[in-house]
Amino acid sequence: MASFERASPALKEILLRIYNAEKPIEVDHHLYEFGSVEYHIKSSVSEPQVTYLSISTPFLSQGVFLSYGLSPFTLKMVRQISTDVLHIVEPANDGYQLTLRLDFSKLPHNKESLNIITEVSSVQAVILSSQLKEMLQNVNSGDSSQGMYKPIKLIYHPKEPFYVIRQELIDVVSLKKWAKVPPCNWSPIPPLELRGEPFEDLSTNGGFVSFDISSHHVEGKRLDKIVWSLLNFYAYVKHHVKCTRGFIQRRMRRGLDNLIEVLEKSRVEDGQIKKVQGWKKMRKMVASKSKMIKRRWGDLGKKIKRIRFRIKIHGFARFRRRWLKMPSFSSSTGYTKLQTNGNNN
Amino acid sequence: MASTLRLYLTCIRNTLEAAMCLQNFPCQEVERHNKPEVELKTSPELLLNPVLICRNEAEKCLIETSINSIRISLKVKQADELENILAKKFLRFLSMRAEAFQVLRRKPVQGYDISFLITNYHCEELQKQKLIDFIVQFMEDIDKEISELKMSVSTRGRLVATEFLKQF
Repeated sequence: MASFERASPALKEILLRIYNAEKPIEVDHHLYEFGSVEYHIKSSVSEPQVTYLSISTPFLSQGVFLSYGLSPFTLKMVRQISTDVLHIVEPANDGYQLTLRLDFSKLPHNKESLNIITEVSSVQAVILSSQLKEMLQNVNSGDSSQGMYKPIKLIYHPKEPFYVIRQELIDVVSLKKWAKVPPCNWSPIPPLELRGEPFEDLSTNGGFVSFDISSHHVEGKRLDKIVWSLLNFYAYVKHHVKCTRGFIQRRMRRGLDNLIEVLEKSRVEDGQIKKVQGWKKMRKMVASKSKMIKRRWGDLGKKIKRIRFRIKIHGFARFRRRWLKMPSFSSSTGYTKLQTNGNNN
Repeated sequence: MASTLRLYLTCIRNTLEAAMCLQNFPCQEVERHNKPEVELKTSPELLLNPVLICRNEAEKCLIETSINSIRISLKVKQADELENILAKKFLRFLSMRAEAFQVLRRKPVQGYDISFLITNYHCEELQKQKLIDFIVQFMEDIDKEISELKMSVSTRGRLVATEFLKQF
C-alpha cells in the first residue's frame, strides 16, 4: 500500500547520512519506533565503510519464539535483502534479536545504492512478514488433512491481535474481476473458531473481519504482497475511519453555518417598527411624565406667588387664573373638576 | 413519499402559526422572575394542550405551548443503523452549539431527537413567520443532510475496500 511504507524513514535518513558523509563520522544512535521496536546504529572512524545495525522487535507470535533467536527462514529472508552489503553477525548484540554488518564499500555508485539502503531500512518489516509468510506457505504444503487447527494469535501492533486459523476451505467462485482476491466477510460476533480464546482478546466494538487465504493466493510474488496487506489491514482501516470522521465533522459544520444563516434572516431589522413591550410600561411612562410636569408647574406657581406679595398689578389675577394655572390631565381613574367663574380681586 | 412529507410539514406549519401567540408573563410562583412556563409546568392554567403530529411510527413532532413559550420536539427518520448513528452524531453536534441558534434546546426532550424552545423574547427579536419557516426548513435540511452523509460514507467505504482489495 502506498500509504504504509515498509522502510523506516528515520533509519533510512541516518543510513543515508552516514553513506553520504564526506569524511568518516562517529555514530552511536538509538532509535525507537511504535513503542516496541528498537534500532541501534553504530559507526566508528576506525572502520569508515562499516556500520553495525542491531534490531529488537517483538515477534508476531509469542508461541513460535525460538530460544536461539530468529528462525532460519527469517534469516534467509533478511540475507536476501542484499547479499553483498549485508552480513548477519552472530551472536547478536545484547538485548537485540539481530545484528547486521553493513559494508557501504560494496554499494554501487549509482541510484541503485538508494534502493539498497531503502531495503535495509525495511528490515523490521521483513522480519515480521517472514513469520507470517512461513505460516501461509504451509497452506501450499497440503497439510490440512486433520481439518481444523487451533488458532494462532499474532500481534503486529500492541492491543491489535489477529488470528490465523488453518482449515479446509471451499473455494467459492466469485466474479471474474475479483477472482484473485481472497473472499472476506464480517461478523459482529467472534467466529466459531475463536470461541475458546481469552475474553480480552475478543472484546471489540468493530466486529470481526475474516479473510480466506487459499494456496493460489500465496503463490510466488503474491505472497509478499498479501502478507504486507494483511499485516497493515488494521492500520489501514483505522486511518480511513479517522478520515471519514473528519469528513463528517466538516460537513456538519457546513450544515450548521447554513442553518444559522437562515435564522439570521428572520431577525427584526432596525428600520422596522418595534412593538411596545407590554401595557404596564406605557402607563408607567405617562404617569411619570405627568408628575414631572406637575412638579415644574408647582415650582413656577410658587415663584409667581412669592412675587405676588411684593408687587400688585391690576388685572393680573385674571391673567394668572387663565394662563398660569397647572394643566389638568384626564385619567381613567380621575375626574375633571368643573371650574367656577369667580372674581378674586 | 414527497407528498406525505409536504402534508406533514404543512400541518406542522399551520399548528405553529396558531400556537405561536406568546406574550410576556412573569412567574406566578417567584417574584420578579420570568420563566418559560412550558418548561416548568407549575401552573396548569397557563398551559395549552400539547399537539402530537405523526408522519409515521418513526417520525413525529410534539408541540407544547404555554402563555409565554412554546416547545417543539422532533423525532427524525432513521431507517437503519448507519442513519441512526449519523442522526445522533449530527443532532448532538447541533445541540452542543445551541447558543448559535438561540431557539435550540441543549438537551432534547425524552423520546425525541431534538427540541426547540421559543419564548416571547424570541418572538420580539425574530419575525414570527420567518421563525416558522426556519423550523420547517430545519426539518427538511436535517433529512437531506443525513441522507447525503449516509451516501458519502457508503461511497467512501466502497472506495476504500476496492483500493485495499486491489493490492491482491
